[in-house]
Amino acid sequence: MASLNETGTTVRAPRAPWLTLKRRETIEGWLFVSPTLIGFLIFFLGPLIAVVFYSLSEWNLLSQDTTFVGLANYEDALTQNPDFWQVIRNSVIFAAGLVPMNMALALALAMALARPFRGVVFFRTIFFAPVVTSAVAWAIVWKFLLQGDAGAVNQMLATVGIDGPNWLREPNWAMAAVIVTRVLKMVGLNMILYIAALQSIPRDYEEAARLEGASEWQIFRMVIWPLLAPTTLIIMVITTIGSFKVFDHIYLMTGGGPENGTLVLAFYIYQQAFEFFEIGYASALAMIMFVIVLALTVVQLILRQKGST
Amino acid sequence: MTRLTVRNLTKSFGKIEVIRGIDLDVADGEFVVFVGPSGCGKSTLLRMISGLETISGGELWIGDRKVNEVQAAKRGLAMVFQSYALYPHLTVRQNMGFGLKVRKESPDEIERRVNEAARTLQLDKLLDRYPRELSGGQRQRVAIGRAIVGDPQVFLFDEPLSNLDAELRVHMRAEIAALHRRLGNTTIYVTHDQIEAMTLADRIVVLRDGRIEQVGSPKELYARPDNVFVAQFIGSPKMNVCPVEAIRSPLQRAGFSTGGATQAGLRPEHLRIVDEAEGILCGRVSISEYTGGGALLHVELEGAPVFLVENSGDDAPQPGDIVHLAFSGSDLHLFDAEGRACHREPELA
Ligand SMILES: Nc1ncnc2c1ncn2[C@@H]1O[C@H](COP(=O)(O)OP(=O)(O)OP(=O)(O)O)[C@@H](O)[C@H]1O
Ligand SMILES: [Mg+2]
Repeated sequence: MASLNETGTTVRAPRAPWLTLKRRETIEGWLFVSPTLIGFLIFFLGPLIAVVFYSLSEWNLLSQDTTFVGLANYEDALTQNPDFWQVIRNSVIFAAGLVPMNMALALALAMALARPFRGVVFFRTIFFAPVVTSAVAWAIVWKFLLQGDAGAVNQMLATVGIDGPNWLREPNWAMAAVIVTRVLKMVGLNMILYIAALQSIPRDYEEAARLEGASEWQIFRMVIWPLLAPTTLIIMVITTIGSFKVFDHIYLMTGGGPENGTLVLAFYIYQQAFEFFEIGYASALAMIMFVIVLALTVVQLILRQKGST
Repeated sequence: MTRLTVRNLTKSFGKIEVIRGIDLDVADGEFVVFVGPSGCGKSTLLRMISGLETISGGELWIGDRKVNEVQAAKRGLAMVFQSYALYPHLTVRQNMGFGLKVRKESPDEIERRVNEAARTLQLDKLLDRYPRELSGGQRQRVAIGRAIVGDPQVFLFDEPLSNLDAELRVHMRAEIAALHRRLGNTTIYVTHDQIEAMTLADRIVVLRDGRIEQVGSPKELYARPDNVFVAQFIGSPKMNVCPVEAIRSPLQRAGFSTGGATQAGLRPEHLRIVDEAEGILCGRVSISEYTGGGALLHVELEGAPVFLVENSGDDAPQPGDIVHLAFSGSDLHLFDAEGRACHREPELA
């Protein structure tokens, strides 16, 4: 449309510019997320697809040739290889030992350290420090402390008349040792989560209950514990997932031994891939682990949704 | 019989003394309200009575029992919190039955008593809801319900209405008053709203800085405040207070003796706008606030600060108008240099 203005020249109705505000915001939006998105594609989605592909192939790094074998690697793990089920069993034992111990200890510490008192920051720091300590240093120190007769732990036990086992040399004790030392390293994290949750519970609830005659234990069981349920659920799931993925700790403390007594899934995958170079088989194992973790995550999401309605 | 006796009660948090020697007797069945400005120690005093806060000094008696060292739960009282403190994971029924449950009452008995309390408070239909599914007023009622289920000897309320909107507050105030008439429990009620205090209380305790300023019936506090603080705290809008010096000659002309008083107080509602001939004080209206039923005038007196004057009716003077004010001698409050009332002659109706 052309029209005349006062001075008599024609003006054209301005055409909407290509770069509308909306388009511009869209482009800016994509630019902002692109670093993460590109990173995700290259370093996460790419490898994931590759692993799916490898898991369907026979690929030995040493022989360098790749053949498509369908589900053979999975079949191998699930039905042929006796190691696999022992590894799963170990992982389950590790999780079953670690998760309750970690959570109970975290909750107990949080209950003690949620309220301010003189020195509370010191204690919180003490229990949280291992979380940010190097896994290598932690493992080396504990390996040292847990040596046979010469280890500090056994020497301490000896003073009270207990003849401690050679912790890291006997399968069952080794499992117990890696669980406990892992709990001690990671408990601070859950403690912090529990402290945050406890601090968000209004003091009034506790006081109202106390006025009505509830004992400390009743207050905990009937008021505090139910109100902690969402936190407990999240902690349970992330701790379980974490325990299925444990690698560095096992690698450094026991190397999966003795007699495969602490050979857990993540470490087994590493072994297959980088010690025996069975990339195909290791990829199939990784996929199985992925499914386990995914299942746990889904369970958590479902439970959380239920909890919030 | 549940009297409550407080003797020289004190409380310190570290070095800071928050409650500084409270003496008080609450009669059986009496409704006593603690009022005072924020931070004066109302909640702390109430919590000391409840047992949620320890007592630093003095004595607390409930009935014939000294309870300084008695656990909160064993003092036979129930408290309604400002936040209501309803357990979010329990239904109304479970919330109300909580105390009975922890004291191991039988389920039948719990059921019976919860139902009874629910009927009293018209909560019957809400028993299976969760607190988040209730309105503010309903939550408030549940909180009260939880308190009455245990059949306490003494009720404690800490600003129970402050989370409600104005209309609901008036309504719940009336309900609490009605409940008290019906149940007749000894009740201590904390508020910083002096209207709430006036309407509910048998007796009001005015606190300031951890001390009692005055104890008395609402009428006594209104008509015969012991000091300037109480005079200004009770009543709304608050009492006009000015140095006697500023209005000495008009007072003398009107024949009011001021004795040794140094401050004079007059309530806005006791000042009448009159003809020049009758007027005692004279001033210029600076602001006129329309209040519906009338107007609240800000009047600049000569040599005195601004006085508030309540004017009923539609013909309120306009800003700039000169007005003449009169009042009766019994409405004139006189205070000495320390702010203490100079009571002249008994004049309480
Ligand atoms: N736990 C505590 N530690 C230290 N000081 C406290 C504690 N509780 C209360 N106080 C102090 O005691 C004084 C009285 O507090 P309190 O809560 O009794 O006031 P209040 O009269 O109830 O005020 P409000 O009307 O604001 O509720 C305040 O100065 C407060 O800071
Ligand atoms: Mg308070």
